[in-house]
Amino acid sequence: MSSVAADMAVKSARAHDITDPKRPASQHNWLFILAAGWLIVVLFFVVFGRWLPFIQDPTAKDAQAIAQSPSWDHWFGTATFGQDVFARVVEGGRISLFVGATVTFIGIFLGGLLGLLAGYLRGWVDSLVRLLISVTLAIPALLLVIFIVTIQGQSLKNVILAVSLLAIPALARIVRASTLQVADRDYVKAAQVLGVKKGSILVREVLPNVMPTLVSFAFLTFGIILVAESSLSFLGLSVEAPTITWGSIIAEGRIKFSDTPHMVFLPGAVLFLTVLSLNFVGDQMLKRFDIKESGL
Amino acid sequence: MIVLVAVLVAVLALAAWIVRVAGWRFALQRLGGSLLIVVLVTFATTVLLRQVGVDQSQKDTLVELGLPPSSQPCVASLGTGADVATVEKCVEDRGLDKNVFAQYAGWVSDLLHGDLGYAFYKNKEPLTTTLQQRLPRTAWLFLYSQITALVLAVPLGIWAAYQAGRKPRRVPRWIFPLVLLAMLGVAFSVGWGFAAVMFGAILLPIVVYNTYRGGPPGDTTVNTTAFVLLSIPVFVLGESLRYLFAIKRDWYQLTGYKPWSAGVTAHIGSIWLPALVLGLAATPVYLRLLRADMMQNLQQDYVAVAKAKGMSNTHILIRHVLRPSTVTLLTVAGLNIAQLVNGAIVVEFIYDFDGMGSYLIEAVARREFFAVQTIVALVAILFVAANTIVDLLYTVVDPRVRATVSS
Repeated sequence: MSSVAADMAVKSARAHDITDPKRPASQHNWLFILAAGWLIVVLFFVVFGRWLPFIQDPTAKDAQAIAQSPSWDHWFGTATFGQDVFARVVEGGRISLFVGATVTFIGIFLGGLLGLLAGYLRGWVDSLVRLLISVTLAIPALLLVIFIVTIQGQSLKNVILAVSLLAIPALARIVRASTLQVADRDYVKAAQVLGVKKGSILVREVLPNVMPTLVSFAFLTFGIILVAESSLSFLGLSVEAPTITWGSIIAEGRIKFSDTPHMVFLPGAVLFLTVLSLNFVGDQMLKRFDIKESGL
Repeated sequence: MIVLVAVLVAVLALAAWIVRVAGWRFALQRLGGSLLIVVLVTFATTVLLRQVGVDQSQKDTLVELGLPPSSQPCVASLGTGADVATVEKCVEDRGLDKNVFAQYAGWVSDLLHGDLGYAFYKNKEPLTTTLQQRLPRTAWLFLYSQITALVLAVPLGIWAAYQAGRKPRRVPRWIFPLVLLAMLGVAFSVGWGFAAVMFGAILLPIVVYNTYRGGPPGDTTVNTTAFVLLSIPVFVLGESLRYLFAIKRDWYQLTGYKPWSAGVTAHIGSIWLPALVLGLAATPVYLRLLRADMMQNLQQDYVAVAKAKGMSNTHILIRHVLRPSTVTLLTVAGLNIAQLVNGAIVVEFIYDFDGMGSYLIEAVARREFFAVQTIVALVAILFVAANTIVDLLYTVVDPRVRATVSS
């Protein structure tokens, strides 16, 4: 997903500019606010969930309330042993979002560094980075992650490590393409002619202009990573059993599907809305920050 | 045999064509690059195989038993009940006692001799048998899903790109509440649940209404729907459709795959839902790309020229605008194989579809590291090969690329 989705996002963002240059950018702002708001709400619940009074203990079993549908007492219903599903979703978000955030940061840092160096220095550095990217992306993402996690063992550290291996090349490729564009600009050439050091040009001229694209793609990458981690835990290959993740709640609910559809659909909806919001925010930022040749 | 010869002839003919069009240097460059990537990827999987997690105490135990410390994959596949001699034989057979390079060389030579190792180490079931049995199923799944995706994406993509530059149809405002009411009525009389009514009867009229209007609203609706579809994780989509079609209604039986020889209806009936899920996951990717690409093409001067010459809109759209976009579509289809493999693993797991994806999960659960490594390597080879072919085809199909390559 990573590579195709990324290319496509750039392409569709640009296509938008071709069609309606006159349409004001603020027209869909309320959707942006809605998406960002959802992300903030999810983040709030996940971070402060353990201290919120109305969220129950995610592991407390209740023989009186087994596999109940949503009600006022249990907003998302109850699980197979009577645990509160809403509390489990809040708790599960900790792992899911933590993996997503950590991997995105690693990806931005290492992928951004590789991409910048490759795109600016060219030559053998570029060849090496491109080879690295092609080699890593030659294995379908989920397959690679499954392979690494089975070999290294299912722990949080290994899941993060494996998923990072997927985010770094994807982001490196985007940053490289973006850097190639920026490095061609007159102000970079002017700095070179003036004899500014390479490192200084990279940090002060190139990086600030690559950053917006990088940050927009960070949102898209976050979404991709979230789906990858959830798929992994859905298959039962992420962090080991007692730890709750969004994928593992869904995997538990699907076993007795007709009894506990709420355990699949409600966490699924939360995951879907989060990914949708991340994609939307990333897409909008890309449209806003995309450097247009015609605009210069 | 005949099929093999035919494939060989076709490949040779294609190769000859590419060489004629693009020149030796370009073709060899691409092939060399791909070969390098394949070698590096497969080597990396071999290196990873030796990293199978063992702590120091386990290593010490292995050494005490007279085994090399890297023999953990063998121990894992054979189970802890296996005796030392069996493990030793496995270690020797898989080259774990040698260094990485020798092990890799052994693996490559086995591969070239058609020996892929065992699917399940304990009962010595060869992986080739499993592949013969299960690969066709996954291949059919891929084929049907791609057909579904293209059938949905191409017409919608063309339509959306075309409508984006047109005026919407004038529709009286009061039509919309009417459509909404009608849909609500239908939904309640059919007896859908509240959630289904919310989605089905409020969003659907918006989609239908805007699609009927066409123009930018129609385009936006199609594009937004694709965007939303793109954000649904494959496993959530798969589980939702399983609930809808296999649990609430029995339109799809989870009885496993039936081959063509069992009859057309049995075959299609056993595969349509997983194929639909994979197809729906691929549709927005193709749709959005095709739409974006066609919008760029519609801005070209040759479109204006064609229009000025008096050609019909349909002719312009298909011959002048869609044709250059097929090249892009081809590239994305090649890249999308990775996405397809990811999807197949999840979808086959959901639908108990016994293809390669569910075999992989099974092999992982049984700690068959050798089989998993071989499959990962084979998928990587397939992916790189497909993309190389697409890359080379690119030069054949698109004269513009040809011009830049040969100059």
